[in-house]
Amino acid sequence: MIHPLARKLCILLLASLILLPGCGVKERWHTSTLLAFDTICEINIFCSPSTFKSAQEEVQRVFSEIESLFSPGADDYSSPLVLDLFQRALKVYQDSNGCFDITVAPLSRIWGFFSKSYVVPAPEQIKSVLKLIGMEKIEERNATLILMPGAGLDWGAIAKGFGIDLASKSLVQMGISSGFINAGGDLYCWGNNPNNQSWNIGLKHPRESGFLGVLSISDLGAATTGDYQRYFVKNGIRYHHVFDPRTGYPAQGKQSVTVYGPETLICDALSTALFVSQQPEKILEKYPDYGAIIVDHDGNLSFLGKTYPFNPIE
Amino acid sequence: MERRDFFKKVIITPLLTPLFLAAKKRKSGCELYLIDDNPEEFFPLILEELHNYIANYRHSFAFLNSHPHENDLRRILSQRGLTYVQTPIQADLTLSFSALHEKTLPSFTLIREGRIWDIRSRELYSLWREMNKNQRRSSCLTIASFKSRQSHPFSGKYVSVYKEGSKIEMISLEENVTKSYRTRGGKITLRVKDGKAWVPESSCRHKICLHSPSVSFAGERIICVPNHFLLEIKGSRYIDTSIG
Repeated sequence: MIHPLARKLCILLLASLILLPGCGVKERWHTSTLLAFDTICEINIFCSPSTFKSAQEEVQRVFSEIESLFSPGADDYSSPLVLDLFQRALKVYQDSNGCFDITVAPLSRIWGFFSKSYVVPAPEQIKSVLKLIGMEKIEERNATLILMPGAGLDWGAIAKGFGIDLASKSLVQMGISSGFINAGGDLYCWGNNPNNQSWNIGLKHPRESGFLGVLSISDLGAATTGDYQRYFVKNGIRYHHVFDPRTGYPAQGKQSVTVYGPETLICDALSTALFVSQQPEKILEKYPDYGAIIVDHDGNLSFLGKTYPFNPIE
Repeated sequence: MERRDFFKKVIITPLLTPLFLAAKKRKSGCELYLIDDNPEEFFPLILEELHNYIANYRHSFAFLNSHPHENDLRRILSQRGLTYVQTPIQADLTLSFSALHEKTLPSFTLIREGRIWDIRSRELYSLWREMNKNQRRSSCLTIASFKSRQSHPFSGKYVSVYKEGSKIEMISLEENVTKSYRTRGGKITLRVKDGKAWVPESSCRHKICLHSPSVSFAGERIICVPNHFLLEIKGSRYIDTSIG
């Protein structure tokens, strides 16, 4: 026979086990912004206040690490994260026939996009710099990347996506069931939005204020490359920052490309590759889980690959 | 009459049920139904009170058929800033009049986007009491149809204005207004026109709010930190974040 005191204790223990998980850990939506990658990053997650604090710190930690390793001028070519991202970039480089290429740094430099002293270089200067371009010219020896003298890496079209993937994975591992991280236009969203639906992502219009349309997605990343993000105008011509690595000049024919799919780093890299390529559909065939929304030179909208609900704005 | 009767009478008018059902099925546009033999007396006042619910309420109007007090109504609406146009197709608001089969007490109902709107307010309640003061039964039904602007599912309906973290005002995006607000940091001006809202003037230092593009979709915001001022677009479907 069970002693009455023991029975009382058992009931108390059972009650506490049932009640404790709900005590004082009310989950709600939290939003915060932080500065990273030279832009405003927005975090919106559903969790308890204490988890939110840890989540903020984690995102900050990941972004700081990515910034220190992949900012222009960073030269740590032996970090495991650098070697990992190099391999991922190399794959997209190969799949896109060189339309996506992280070795375009010398081009960005001579066009003045690093110093913000913009200039249209002489054709001979571009020709000589093109000798440094091409990922096959990078050697990986003894777990270190070896670059040709004068060459340089521009991780700008992939590192932010990589950081978002790492940060969002950490947050999911922390038990955060729904949220998004938006780092200046590169994003990963998971779970449901506060209305318990897919996340509604407004795609900015490449030429006007307002939106091109609203994309409804969940558990996906998205990234946009556009000729309006960084550019200068000289003699009435718009020169933007997305270079065709084969010509050394800004890629022509499109205003913007948005790619969505399971990994933000792939979205990031593919948006550049599709922007540069004259045959974007050929590249996307190799990425069946990804889709793209393309605005061509005349402002016409087209969709490639996998599609998700999209409400265009008239 | 009791205040709860107001709701009952305004919402449930059995004589109009077939018309309401037809209006509800349309799922778009906005119609105000008024039972009163003298529409020139209360229609302009109701219209003024409902400006937050009704699109284009201060633009042009036309008559689809005639009414004995048509000239008075035209004069009063013109005095209140509406422009009379002869061709109904050009008008933002068209008014039609018809006779009910039997007389009933005056009342009014608004149907917007396929549903009956609860438009109870202190002012409308006072108006309704005034209309019913003499228990005068009417047989004239005025239907005011407001032209709907084809809008995107994410288009906002209102702009909510917050100062010091508290909501101080809601303005319909269909309005055409400029308003200035005194703030702890000085002064900030809000402009609403053509379904968009933006900040044309601000006393803040960096003028970030001033350079923010206009907002029109539900979920979009303009924030002025120094002025402790926030504009947020409200609507039925929200954009959670934006990229590009």
